[in-house]
This record gives sequence, C-alpha cells and structure tokens, in this order.
Amino acid sequence: MLEIRELKKTYASGVQALKGISLEVCAGVFGLLGPNGAGKTTLMKILATLLEPDSGEIAVNGVDFIGQKMAARRMLGYLPQEFGLYPTLTAEQTLQYFAKLKGVADGKERARLIDALLERVNLSNARKQSVGGFSGGMRQRLGIAQALIGQPRLIIVDEPTAGLDPEERNRFHNLLSEIAGENTVVLLSTHIVSDVSTLCGQMAIIRHGEIIAFCTPQAALAQIANVVWETTVLREKVSILRSRFKVVSTQMFEGQVCVRVFSPNGRPGEEFSPVIPTLEDYYLNLVSQLESVN
Amino acid sequence: MRSKFSSPFVAVFQTEVLFNLKRVVPYALVFIFSANALLWWGWGPAVARGWAVNSDFYIVWLLGGFSFMTMPLFIALMMGDPVIRDFRIGVDPLIFSKPVSRAEYLLGKFFGNFFVLVCCQVCFVLTPMLLQAFSTKGMVVLSPRVLPYFQHFLFFIVISSLAPAAVFFTVGTLTRNVKIVYGLATSFYPLYIAWQLAMKGLPWRWRIALDPLLFNVGADSWQGRSADWLNQLIVSYDGVMIANRVLMIAVALVCLAILYFRFSSAERAGISAEQNRTSIPDRTPRTERLYNDAENFSSEQSIQVAEAVASKHIALPPVNIITQGWRANLEQFIAALGVEFRLLRAERSLVVVAPLIMFMCGLELAAYEIVPEVSYSATYAGRTANTLLLFLFGIAVFYSGETMHRDSELRIEPVLWSVPAPNPVFLLSKFSATLLLSLSMMLLVAVTAISLQIYRGHAPLELQTYLKTYAVILVPGVVFMVAASTALNILLRDKYLTYAVSLAIAGALYYSTGQGYNNRLYNPVLYRLWTPAELVNGSSHLTRLLVHRIYCLALSALLLALALLFHKRKSTRGLAPQGRLTGTGWTILIGTVSVLVAIITGLIVSDAA
Repeated sequence: MLEIRELKKTYASGVQALKGISLEVCAGVFGLLGPNGAGKTTLMKILATLLEPDSGEIAVNGVDFIGQKMAARRMLGYLPQEFGLYPTLTAEQTLQYFAKLKGVADGKERARLIDALLERVNLSNARKQSVGGFSGGMRQRLGIAQALIGQPRLIIVDEPTAGLDPEERNRFHNLLSEIAGENTVVLLSTHIVSDVSTLCGQMAIIRHGEIIAFCTPQAALAQIANVVWETTVLREKVSILRSRFKVVSTQMFEGQVCVRVFSPNGRPGEEFSPVIPTLEDYYLNLVSQLESVN
Repeated sequence: MRSKFSSPFVAVFQTEVLFNLKRVVPYALVFIFSANALLWWGWGPAVARGWAVNSDFYIVWLLGGFSFMTMPLFIALMMGDPVIRDFRIGVDPLIFSKPVSRAEYLLGKFFGNFFVLVCCQVCFVLTPMLLQAFSTKGMVVLSPRVLPYFQHFLFFIVISSLAPAAVFFTVGTLTRNVKIVYGLATSFYPLYIAWQLAMKGLPWRWRIALDPLLFNVGADSWQGRSADWLNQLIVSYDGVMIANRVLMIAVALVCLAILYFRFSSAERAGISAEQNRTSIPDRTPRTERLYNDAENFSSEQSIQVAEAVASKHIALPPVNIITQGWRANLEQFIAALGVEFRLLRAERSLVVVAPLIMFMCGLELAAYEIVPEVSYSATYAGRTANTLLLFLFGIAVFYSGETMHRDSELRIEPVLWSVPAPNPVFLLSKFSATLLLSLSMMLLVAVTAISLQIYRGHAPLELQTYLKTYAVILVPGVVFMVAASTALNILLRDKYLTYAVSLAIAGALYYSTGQGYNNRLYNPVLYRLWTPAELVNGSSHLTRLLVHRIYCLALSALLLALALLFHKRKSTRGLAPQGRLTGTGWTILIGTVSVLVAIITGLIVSDAA
C-alpha cells in the first residue's frame, strides 16, 4: 500500500509544484491524471527517490521513502516520462546491467529472468539488437522490462504511452494490466484519459499541485451521466452556443464543429443529442466548477 | 522583400550569439583571458627586462604567447560543436524544414560562434590597454595608445584563430563527433612543435611565411636588442607576414568550402536519427489539456489490435536480490565499470586519438637521437612518459567529461538513479573506466616504445624500468587528473565549464612552472620535476618520489570524496543513524584521512626539497 501525506514541493524558481498532496493507494493500477504542468512528474520523481520534497511523508508497505531511500529503491520499478538507453548496448546487455545493479547476483537466475522479461515484453527476437536502432515502442517496452526487475512493490510509469502508435499502446496496456498483482501498486501518470479508463481501478486528478478528485473511473463517469450533450454546428455559431450553454469542448468534424455541452437540467435544445460522457468531460466539468467557486 | 537583417544567416548568427551569452563558457574564457593578461602585465618579464608594457614589441610578444598557449583548445571548445549541438538536442528537423540554405546555416553558425570567441579573446588586449593607466614600481609605460592593441590583435590573433576555427568547425560538423575535434586540438602542440623543428633549416622568411601562429616574427632581428630599442620599435607587417595571413584566410575558406560541399542535413546512412542523437523516444506535441483519443482509436479497432498483439502471460521467475554488503556493491561496481568501459571504447574519437598518441610518442623517440642517461630503457620510458602526460591530461579531461555527463545527456539518469546501488558504484565506475582507458593508452605507448627500442637495437631491454617509470610517475598522475576532472564535473555541473576551468588550471600551472614556481606540492603530476636517474639510481630520491606519489594519491582520494559528497543523488540523511556510518559518513571519514595523509606527506616532500 502506498501512503502519501501532505507532500509539498516548491522549486527554487518559486513554482509551487505540490501543495500538500495526500493519497492512499491500494495494490493495482492507479491512474494519476492531470494536464501538463499539474505536478504529476514532480510527484513521480519524489516517489522515485530522485527529488527531495520540502515536507510530507511517503511510505510503501511501511517503508519510509524519504528517509530510507536505498530501502525504497529496492522496492521500486521506475519508467520515467523521458528516458534514454545506451544506444550501443543490446537489449540483453541493457537488462543484464540493470539486473546486476538491482542486485540479481546469481548469473543463472539473472539469465532466466532476462529471458522471461524479454519474452514478456515481446523483445526476444530483438535481444541481440542495439538499443539505438529500436523504435519508440520497443524502447518503451524495454523500459518497462527494466522496471520489472527485482519484484518491485511500487512501479511508477510516467506518461508511458505518449507518442506510441495504437498497436504499441495496446501492447503496453496489456503489459501494465498484467504487472499489477496483489502486492504491487502500479502508479500510472498520464494526461491521456483513455489510458486511465482502460487500465485503472482507481484514479486521482491533479491540477496546479493539488488533488482535485480521488475516485474510480466508473464513479467519475456516473457523476456526469445524462448531462453531456452534443451537436454539430457551423463554425460561426459556436460563439452563440458558448454564450448560451456551458460548452465543455469543441472539435472540428467534417468541416463543422462538434460541440459538447453540459446540461444537468435536460436536453438544452432540439439540435442536441445525448452522448456517453468521458473522463475528459468529467475533468473539464470539475475544472469549471472549481473556477466558478474561485 | 526580405531585409538584410532578417535573413536566415543573420537569424542563425544572432541565435548563436544569444545562445552563447547564456552559457557559462564564454564568461569563463573572458575571466581566464583577462586574468592571463593581468598576470603578463604585472608579473611577466616586462618589468624585469625593462620592456614597456604598452610598447608595440611587448604587445606582439604577448599576443604570440597568448596564441600559442591558449589557441587550439579554447578554439576547439567554442567551435567544435555548434552544429553537433543542433543534432544532439533534436532541433535539426525544425531548422532544416525552414527555407534556410546550407551556406546561410553553416556560415551563421560559424561566424556566430567565431564572433563570440573573438569577443572573449579581445579581453586579452583590452585588459592591458586599460591597465596603461596604472603602473607598478619599475614598470615602463609609454604614452597611452589604443590602435596598436586592436591592430595587432586583428592581425595576429583573429586571423590566426580563423583557420583553426574553420578546421575544428569543419571536422566537428562533418564527423558530428566533438571528441575528434578535441583530439585534434590536443595534438596541435606536438604537431606545431614538430612543424617548427621541420622548418628549422629554412630561411627566416620561409619560417615566418609557413608559421600558422606567426610565432617566429622578429625572432631573427629582435633578439639581443636593448630594452630601449625594443620600446621604440614599431611593428609593421611586411610582405611575407601579409602573405602568411592571406594563406591562413585561404585555409579557412578552403575548409568552409569543403564543409559546404560535404555537409548534409540528412540522417546518416545506417544510423537512425535517434541512434545518432540519443535514444529518447519521439514524443508528440502535447496540449495543455487532457487528451482523449477515443475518437481516433475505436473500441472495435482496439479489440482487433489487442487480439493481434495479445501478449502471452509469462510469469517472471523468482530471483534472490542482494543489494547490501560490500560483495553486492562490488558486483554492482564491476557491472557498472564493464558498461562504462564498453561505452568509452565505443567512442569513435578513439579511432583517431589512440593511433595519434602512439604516433606522437613514437615520433618523440624516432625523430631524435637517444642518449642513454641511465639506460636506454630509462630514456625511452622517460621520454614517452613526458609526451604521454599531455595526452593523458586530454583523456582525463575530455573523456571524464563525456563519461560523467553521458547519463544525463542520454536521459538514462532517472532510471539508473532509481536502482538500489549506492552512489560510489556510479561515480567510481565512471572514474575507473576513464582511468582504465588512460592505462590502456599507456600500455599502447609502452608497447610502441619497447618495439622501437628493439627495432633500433638499443639493448638491454629492461621491462622493470618501463614498469617503474609508468607506475611511479604516470599512474598516480593520471589517477590525480581523472579524480580532479571527476570532482570538477560534479562541482561545476557543466561539461564545457569543466573543460575551460581544467584548461585554465593546467595553463596556470604550466605558466607557473615556466616562471620558476615549480614546487612539487602544487605539481602533483611531477611535470618537469623528475629524472630517470632518480627512479633508477638513488634510493633516497626514489623514497622522496614515492612519498610524493602518496601525496598525489591522497589528493586524488580527497577529490573523489568531494565528488561523492556533492553528488546530486542523495541516498541517506545524517551521518550515522542507528550508530552506523552512512555513505556520507564514510565519505567524510575518507576525505579527512586523505587530508591528513596529504598534509603529512606534503610536509615530508617540502622538507626534502
């Protein structure tokens, strides 16, 4: 179990990245959703022992992640948002290296583990290939393979599917859902809503360094069921709709504009039809509520 | 119509200048050049010899020394990587997709950086020019003047810098490997000295005409003249000197022309853009809002793809994890060292640097008569050791910089730092890999020297003399240089700043040695402070040398302890929680012991001196 209490971080530039975040996360895939600059990566870096918070506590299964960093690193698998690999090493050599660093000392065990990891991430055929020639998806899979070494209890994956094609993304989703076991927390940080709705049993939304929602994706969607409506209009009419309704989003569609609006009091007009809400609708609704309160 | 000042050339030029203004290196160069000028003004030979510090003669004399001492390495630092940088940070597709011609881009890059370099260099003449208003006791100062400073600076420094700048820029851009440029810059001195020796038999006119630095100007007519004569001398440029300058400009133009025709903004065949750059996955631009791609990626499609790529569930075998204890840490260290050394060996620049080192050290033996002071082997080992020291300095500085910053440049650092390996594993593996590379170079040079000795029939061959010379003189010196470079990289955080500071320190020590300040305490590499006879003959000399080497190693340990203390990755809080020393506690202890050993051995060394 991952417990975070009152975590605060302000950078030297004065940017307050985390404003006292508290979370309790059980085993399984946990989605941390938020726009760029919300504080996700800062939180991930602190959890990965790479950044020192100003105050607060983090514990995984009782191990203090701030005071006992080496103990924390023994329980940790980390796939950062942006990472590189030594281009001249092969996939196998890369995993060998990380396995040794993670303390898998026995050569035979290490070989078996690497075989299994490569098989699992579908890189067995590329094991002798230099990492420099890998595609983005292959690198990402190798990244997750290294994060799985050493039976980690907390796996942090920061924006893992950004830039991947649909096939690779799906492969990655399957991998992540397999990883999450009874004793493992997979913390998935992303700004791609569909990743969270596909994979996560629990989620939190972070914005401006604060948790603004903590629930399951189903509960979030249930909150906005039957209140999202959609219509397609000419571009010139969008401003009229904006003045009359609470517009959630606009998107170009076949030369016209597809407009989604919130209307908790029923159909806003004849031209509108009900739509299945998404987490993005939930998020935007939440943000507009917060802004109106402020 | 496009204005002249908004042309792509001007844009590239301005951006380079702006970019350099935000780097530390140009400011470091300004400081180094101004400090250097200050030293020559107040503590140079002018006061002792009665030369006026603002005479034409002294200005030209200073500029000659300045160009020789600082030119190749500092020019390489500024001109080696402007284009490589664009490819490294991945801005190249953005630039080359704009209507910018090859010439505009290359010339903008070249002149933008060259302009900044010249602005830094001009501080070397601005400082003494401003100092004309002051004088110290016994200093001769003529009536204030301005023009000669700039005139001679333009003639002797700017034009002299132009050709090497073009060469380094061309080599760096075409090879996209800045270490080849540094290798070239390091080899400048031996090559220049060899060139000077090769021209020794030529008449002065030819020696001046073919001297890229115009270092020989006045050597035939100014020597032995009185201070008064020299102070009244007006240095004018004769036809030979002008021809030399034209030749240098022509060399620069030829280089730039070659670059223009050979440069390609396209990916190299067989090397992907990522491989060429780093292995960071491409990222699509992200908006500031959440992104739901359900529209683009339908559930039906998702199911199809999922079926197609469904991965079989492979259970990971259980493994024993041991990360605590010296044995586990040793295994981690060996693993890290293996990878670091493999990465260093994969450096393309070594293909040039290794043969060059062997060639230059071999040249040192083959080109001159060998007079055995103690024995042939001692002379062979001693001579190669002296030449090798320069190259080992280059390796220590440049390859340490490469090793220390590689992880952050490749962005593998977050992944590495999240594993349960202590900081010394990472730091000492990098230190040891560079050391191992230096030792490999020493081995290559030793094999070259031994082969030459056998080939020339200079018997007897004493392997233990080679071993003694290299182990006592070179190895501790290399350990010190790599440790110092490692510590500087950690403390200064910037690779290029570290290069500049390392070169400045080395230059200052070289200058001090030249001025007679050659105390062993601040000459840890024993440059010019040992003879083969001390090593082979006298036992008391040998003991003194050995004590000095312990002093040198203690300094190295201290520098490594400093590097560990200031390493950005933190693992523990406090020095000794629960009564056991943490890594930081051990580092402070080792640092303290090193200081004590350095003080004790330092006292012994200074007493013996």
